Amino acid sequence: MKIVVGLKQVPETTNVKINEKTKNIDRRGVSGVINKYDRNALQTALDIRDVVGGTVIAMSMGPNDFAVSLQEALSLGADEAVLLSDRAFGGADTLATGYVLAEAIKKIGGVDLVIMGQQSVDADTGQMGPIVAEMLGISQVTYADEIQPKSDNELRIKRYDDNIEQEIIAKTPLMLTTTGNAGKPEYVNVVEIKNSFEKPLTTWTSKDMPVDSNRLGQSGSPTVVRRIMSPEPKERAGKMLSTDATKAAEELAGILHEENLLAEED
Amino acid sequence: MTDIRENWIFAEKSINKINSATFQLITKMKSISEIPVTVVLLESQADSFENEIKQYGPDKILTVKDDELDKADDVSVASALSGLIDKFGTPISFIFAATTFGRSVAPRLQAKLLTGLTADCLDLSFEDDLLVQTKPSYGDNIMCEIVIPDFKPQMATVRPNIFKAEKVFDDTTKIVEINDLNWDKDANIQITTHVLPAKTDENLATADRIVALGRGGKQDLNNANELANKINATVGVTRPLTDMDEFDQSQQIGQSGETVAPDLLINLGVSGSVQFTAGIENANTIVSVNTDKHAPIFKQSDYCFNGSSEDFLKALNKVL
Ligand SMILES: Cc1cc2nc3c(=O)[nH]c(=O)nc-3n(C[C@H](O)[C@H](O)[C@H](O)COP(=O)(O)OP(=O)(O)OC[C@H]3O[C@@H](n4cnc5c(N)ncnc54)[C@H](O)[C@@H]3O)c2cc1C
Repeated sequence: MKIVVGLKQVPETTNVKINEKTKNIDRRGVSGVINKYDRNALQTALDIRDVVGGTVIAMSMGPNDFAVSLQEALSLGADEAVLLSDRAFGGADTLATGYVLAEAIKKIGGVDLVIMGQQSVDADTGQMGPIVAEMLGISQVTYADEIQPKSDNELRIKRYDDNIEQEIIAKTPLMLTTTGNAGKPEYVNVVEIKNSFEKPLTTWTSKDMPVDSNRLGQSGSPTVVRRIMSPEPKERAGKMLSTDATKAAEELAGILHEENLLAEED
Repeated sequence: MTDIRENWIFAEKSINKINSATFQLITKMKSISEIPVTVVLLESQADSFENEIKQYGPDKILTVKDDELDKADDVSVASALSGLIDKFGTPISFIFAATTFGRSVAPRLQAKLLTGLTADCLDLSFEDDLLVQTKPSYGDNIMCEIVIPDFKPQMATVRPNIFKAEKVFDDTTKIVEINDLNWDKDANIQITTHVLPAKTDENLATADRIVALGRGGKQDLNNANELANKINATVGVTRPLTDMDEFDQSQQIGQSGETVAPDLLINLGVSGSVQFTAGIENANTIVSVNTDKHAPIFKQSDYCFNGSSEDFLKALNKVL
């Protein structure tokens, strides 16, 4: 199977604040790591390859420093890596990003399976998998928990559709997105890190793919972020009960009865 | 394609019922805009969920009766929805619940229609026909206000249980039944199992009372269970506790778990991280127990006990 894994480099911590001066998200001193769900996607791809054979190509769109994460993917076992990097791609929303990823996957050609994490921990959209799948015209299974190859062109997948348990048999070509339960990530070993520098890591720009420049970056993005804000925590009264447990319990029991909070509805 | 002055809402189904998030969306969309609300319902010939939906007073329900669409995969449903737009025109907005299904189908449809979509919104409002969407990012640490000025439909998925659903009694909803919709079935996907797991009687999202345990309360599980039994409450947990054998993911409250809206929530040994409190804002009354007088959870609580959860539970179990 020829498998492409979409990886996003995200800030190591999501505990970021807004810079009061620039009104932008302050990412100073926060280093980039592979989005955690994408680690599950990568491991799922490696596990499938190890059963049915084939190649795993790690792909990411972003600035040049995203190469660090692709290098890491190679050291984790991916066979090749492609970085999609171009000024023209900058400022892209999900639709414009999906377009570039889909065009790059078309350029690779003959891809049986595309796997991505269920969502990135910074943007939290979860849209990339379905958008790319639609643009490639392939089937999709999102939020996959367990994935098993059934044959050379079929996977058996377990997932939860909210609280509904589903089992699916899906034929390739296919897009999968993985939860944190799929493909438990393994640690990098030193030999692999050494070998990884022998593996191909190529960069493609907009000139390497037949893309429509109107669909790239900001001009290809229907959504506009008007404002970013810090969430306003809605504070409550925070009335302190007695510090004596028995007294506090009596006070609370009184309140619960008074406010009718223990009555059954309907 | 023609534009129509309507806001569309996708009716999400669970097994044998409409997801309550759909009703919440109807009430919300009616309250923020004069634009007529249309609900899109895909159901089998034998079903008539439109009767339940109309109690919430949408202007119109488009009911596609098709046994094959009843439990269909994402690709087939997205195809059917785009077929409806071909048939009726492009609405001003198209809103989905940010459930697993909504978050899978909506972006698929977005890419078909080449429009914008904002995921997991916490609030919506209108400026004339412009839908203003408020979406969290960075694990709820940042809020973004997003608009889609030049494309239609303006699409969004909205987190369930943020808004309250309200029934209306005017019975003016127009029901349009469609029996001849063209859509493409995805032959590559075969759903072989589609069941509710045995353990779903305790549903956090709809519980009236919840006892929530955090890392500071986990050793008091027995006392907490006793309290939960006494007041007929469901037990929920913070994320760290889902790693324990006693609990599972479905019991997690918060940004990456369930958003809850009980009448009463009692937090035991929960510190009050933003990711946890993102899930409890709609609780009516919040009581929190914590040994740390400065625990952030106290600021999000109506009543606070500064002390150990063990002492508090034992005392409360005695008086109730
Ligand atoms: C992207 C992301 C998503 C997340 N999503 C979620 C989510 O959905 N839900 C969630 O819960 N977390 C989530 N988290 C984790 C979150 O950041 C916190 O780590 C977590 O909520 C803390 O859980 P806690 O309050 O149980 O533990 P702690 O923060 O360790 O708090 C324990 C509290 O118990 C008190 N305590 C100790 N002993 C006692 C005692 N004997 N009696 C009473 N009180 C006592 C302590 O004073 C303390 O306040 C997420 C994190 C990230 C990064």
